[in-house]
Amino acid sequence: MAKKSRARAQTLSPRQQSPQRPLTPQRWRLKLVIGGAVLAVALGVGGLVRFLQQRDVAPRLQGTGDKHYTLGTAHAPVVIKEFSDYT
Amino acid sequence: MQRFEGQVQLVLYPLALNPAANPASEVAAQAAWCAGEQGKFWEFHHMLYRRQELWNRLAAPLERLSEFSKDLNLDATALKSCVESGRMQTLVTADRAYSQQLQVNSTPTIFINANRVVGARPEGELVRLIREELDRVQPQGQ
Repeated sequence: MAKKSRARAQTLSPRQQSPQRPLTPQRWRLKLVIGGAVLAVALGVGGLVRFLQQRDVAPRLQGTGDKHYTLGTAHAPVVIKEFSDYT
Repeated sequence: MQRFEGQVQLVLYPLALNPAANPASEVAAQAAWCAGEQGKFWEFHHMLYRRQELWNRLAAPLERLSEFSKDLNLDATALKSCVESGRMQTLVTADRAYSQQLQVNSTPTIFINANRVVGARPEGELVRLIREELDRVQPQGQ
């Protein structure tokens, strides 16, 4: 058993062997910058996807249903299309 | 709708989003179209929601829906045979295809012009969104 424990200890990396040092303000700043960049990229990608989705959808929304029940004024400036499932 | 008279049009798409999982929604949508043939689409539409709990879990809700239609002074026999004939199937299928094109994955989904709103929202929020869209398309003074 003792031999096994010694063998395991030898395979540990130097980082695991030494106690972790507290992060310096510089490293904190670096982490914040990286985290902020990742967040900005994620938000950018989300925004782009949403934009492309809207751009794709808008032309298809132009034609109102030829045989659908409507309320309100025909050719109104705002058209609301409601998709509802009765269940 | 009344507060936006002349400015807004509502187009309703009675959708059966997943008829395989929920065949009752397909029957209900077809029945609504059939009620429309008798000139009572909106009355039937509201009734479907009001009495939803009484029919939406039935495997074959048509009998119940045709019973309800009598309360609206509809011809229940004609409504039933209209649904059974399947002639409204095309309309329901077309709406489902259209909803898929628009990537409608859940209901209710509404589009205020091109702005998608997913899920039930309080009336106040919808009014605000409609006002915002009206301001966008009809700037003040025009």
